[in-house]
Amino acid sequence: MAQDAQLSQKPAAASLQLSQKTWAWIGVTPFFIFALMFLILPTVDLMIGAFQDPDGNFTLQNLANLNSPTIISAYVISLKVSIASALTGAVFGFFMAYAAVLGGLPQWIRPTLMTFSGVASNFAGLPLAFAFIATLGRVGLVTVLARDWLGFNLYGTGFNLLSFWGLTITYLYFQIPLMVLIIAPALDGLKREWREASEILGASRWQYWRHVAFPILWPSILGTTLLLFANSFGAVATAYALTGSSLNIVTILLYAQIRGDVLHDQGLGYALALGMILITGLSNGAYIWLRQRSERWLR
Amino acid sequence: MTQARLGSWIAIVLGTLYFVIPLIGTFEFSMKMRRGEYSFDAYRVVLNDPQFQATFAYSTVLALATIVVGVVLVVPTAYWIQLRLPKLRPLVEFITLMPLVIPAIVIVFGYIRLYNSSSILPMTSHARATDLLLTFSYVTLALPYMYRAVDTGLRSIDVRTLTEAAENLGAGWPTILFRVILPNVRSAILSGAFLTFAIVIGEFTMASLLNRPAFGVYLQNIGANRAYEPSALAIIAFLVTWACMGLINVFGRGKQIKAAP
Amino acid sequence: MTSAWKLASSSLVLAFAITMAGCGEEKKEEQAADSSAAPAATAPAATTEAAPAADPMQALIDAAKAEGQLTTIALPHDWCGYGAVIEGFKAKYGLTVNELNPDAGSGDEIEAIKANKGNTGPQAPDVIDVGLSFGPSSKTEGLIQPYKVATWDTIPDSAKDAEGYWYGDYYGVLAFEVNSDVVKTLPQDWADLLKPEFTNAVALAGDPRASNQAIQGVYAAGLSAAGGDASKAADAGLKFFADLNKAGNFVPVIGKSASLAQGATPIIIRWDYNALADRDTLNGNPKVDVVVPKTGVVAGVYVQAISAYAPHPNAAKLWMEYLYSDEGQLGWLKGYCHPIRFNDLVKSGKVPQEMLDKLPPAASYEAAVFPTLDEQAAGKEAITKQWDSVVGANVQ
Repeated sequence: MAQDAQLSQKPAAASLQLSQKTWAWIGVTPFFIFALMFLILPTVDLMIGAFQDPDGNFTLQNLANLNSPTIISAYVISLKVSIASALTGAVFGFFMAYAAVLGGLPQWIRPTLMTFSGVASNFAGLPLAFAFIATLGRVGLVTVLARDWLGFNLYGTGFNLLSFWGLTITYLYFQIPLMVLIIAPALDGLKREWREASEILGASRWQYWRHVAFPILWPSILGTTLLLFANSFGAVATAYALTGSSLNIVTILLYAQIRGDVLHDQGLGYALALGMILITGLSNGAYIWLRQRSERWLR
Repeated sequence: MTQARLGSWIAIVLGTLYFVIPLIGTFEFSMKMRRGEYSFDAYRVVLNDPQFQATFAYSTVLALATIVVGVVLVVPTAYWIQLRLPKLRPLVEFITLMPLVIPAIVIVFGYIRLYNSSSILPMTSHARATDLLLTFSYVTLALPYMYRAVDTGLRSIDVRTLTEAAENLGAGWPTILFRVILPNVRSAILSGAFLTFAIVIGEFTMASLLNRPAFGVYLQNIGANRAYEPSALAIIAFLVTWACMGLINVFGRGKQIKAAP
Repeated sequence: MTSAWKLASSSLVLAFAITMAGCGEEKKEEQAADSSAAPAATAPAATTEAAPAADPMQALIDAAKAEGQLTTIALPHDWCGYGAVIEGFKAKYGLTVNELNPDAGSGDEIEAIKANKGNTGPQAPDVIDVGLSFGPSSKTEGLIQPYKVATWDTIPDSAKDAEGYWYGDYYGVLAFEVNSDVVKTLPQDWADLLKPEFTNAVALAGDPRASNQAIQGVYAAGLSAAGGDASKAADAGLKFFADLNKAGNFVPVIGKSASLAQGATPIIIRWDYNALADRDTLNGNPKVDVVVPKTGVVAGVYVQAISAYAPHPNAAKLWMEYLYSDEGQLGWLKGYCHPIRFNDLVKSGKVPQEMLDKLPPAASYEAAVFPTLDEQAAGKEAITKQWDSVVGANVQ
């Protein structure tokens, strides 16, 4: 960034500038060592395993096996569910965070929402799937009560919990809290003075948001949406418990290979995981590109 | 102004309905343990178990340790990346996304291979050392959330100006980090802390394979192959975890910097 | 605050101190492991003989007690009454049993052995209980060690490895677990499941692309539809479930006790021992009936093996001796599993009549088919590959 270049060109003592950058490198080293020891090295086996056959010889067959209709359709469906739940979660989460932080509501709502979101963010897997089955399933509480009290047949409208959209709605239970928790501090950072200044200059609320607040928040919103996407992409327990044998997603295939009772093609499982890592890397790249474009606006 | 207020109320009410109704469904089912009437039988079975308190205490301690290690690891990193090493940002962000897509079981088997009793850094033989390994594994799992929360928080404050001002006043980097930056990202760190706490309390795979008595393992053991107890457990775990988050919130908040209405 | 920095750095120092302390402990563990390795090396030679004299058994018991601990994996307490079996073992020999991940699948158990190759800590499993097909594959991969229990000769040949690497432990047949509060007429056979009164009722207990139980369920349905022809069973099974799905009777939720009780999956296709154990646990709320189908009765065998890298090999061998003794086998029978020595035990009159009465009628088991390894492999191949295209989401 331009400002950074300016800083380093200041005519202060050269040794001080050098040590600042070096200090920064030293400062981030613990993180990289930790990541190496506890994230990268343990997964090296995965990287290597994707290129090995059961006897341990190098092979590209695992990657070639990825090119089957089942697997490709699994990736596509995974991507669809992840994108749907990430975007929906981001939108609803943003509105809830906005309501709690800037919405002019009573003081106690914010900490209640934050702590609740903390718990809900990890309420996933079988308990969550069962909660939704017990509520919105064919004999779920809401379905039955709607039928008995309101005469409204939920499943008559074509709604089915055990479907793509049912799964997305279930995923929102931990996606929305994640968005709320991470965006709320960013909303804190919107200074009151900016709002007042824009009002003084005659801007409407919509213009304030469009030209001042959103551009500032945009990188954070983008980054959190990416987090939501990756979070959903890697989720397996909820999908397995809810739509297990009818919806074909990558994580279930992966688990079938690595953990299952029947299949045991580890090389294929690792190749699937490698594919997932690749997709996550690509979406990270897309996020960076989008963010850089928006940051050009800020300057 | 009132229009905005109404909109906010609608958002909160709709959100509350969405989150609370499935919990009500779970609760209603958990009360059905006794045939034909509502009762708290499932809860009595669960709460009478002494393992509940023991494993919950264990997981709480580990959760707090994870939060501390996570904050110490992530805050300086995010700070320096943002301030001085922006080129490293894509790499760090990619690294922090990895725990979301790499199955936890692959990670924990990797640990066992790397840090078992015959390696140069043996961490699986002694119980405390395994606890440490488990804490590090939890930090890894929570990394995406902690990093994103702290990064977002740092973006919303003017890190550069704060640093320059502190430097001009003669502060060294520890002072800058812990007395200037940290208090300003308090709410972001709290968010990260909540996310981490929830993850650790519910985590099962790693604790089970590293053979430590965590709450997630207990939940699985009690809930497996039972009909009503898992629902009761889900509700109880939800409430107890919520209470702990409330405590963390009270202790972590300090002086609340109010946002503009 | 500088105090925060002090806190951070002192906690790091503390962490290192603990790790260093861990090193000291670890050395003691290594010495203990070394001393137990010696008797283990001589044990295999002794135990290939058939009948146990009192002395080798006592030597084994003493060696196991010296090790003090057994590490198991993937043994849920409700599965085949393992809870009671483990308690019985602990009470009889005074060893501690360290139970890892009861939720593990067979693949997890194999992975656990592989990952713990150099590890003598409590994370390394000593014994495994896996699906039939995993026996030969783990033998080829060198993950298990041979051991022949005292009662070796009474184990049917088709259910064990000739060299003693793996040996069948128990079996059950696939049955229908029915929530009779919700479902009024009980299905008697596979074809009944297609009837309109079972709309949104039938579920499998696992994912047919990953779970042995579910795959055998599809295979059994196919065997019934194909009139007993094993070569056509997989395809017929897939077609059956496609029809079931089209008729709206199939629920894709993984059937569990909770979903049965709640009403989302009032009919679950699962192993009879799981269904019967579930019936007992639910204790009438709701009422559960377990029906073994008239045709297409498929039996599934699981196998036991000792890890080649077991940190407590003598405890592992003692565990095997216990499991294959009359006491252990009857323990499984109490959990509604048919132990592998069932026929032998019945012939010697060692099975109490009350236990026999609690099982489904013996007539149901007479029609039971034990798919061979090849049949299982072929069925697995077809079902896992084609499930999505014939039955699942790709059809929508």
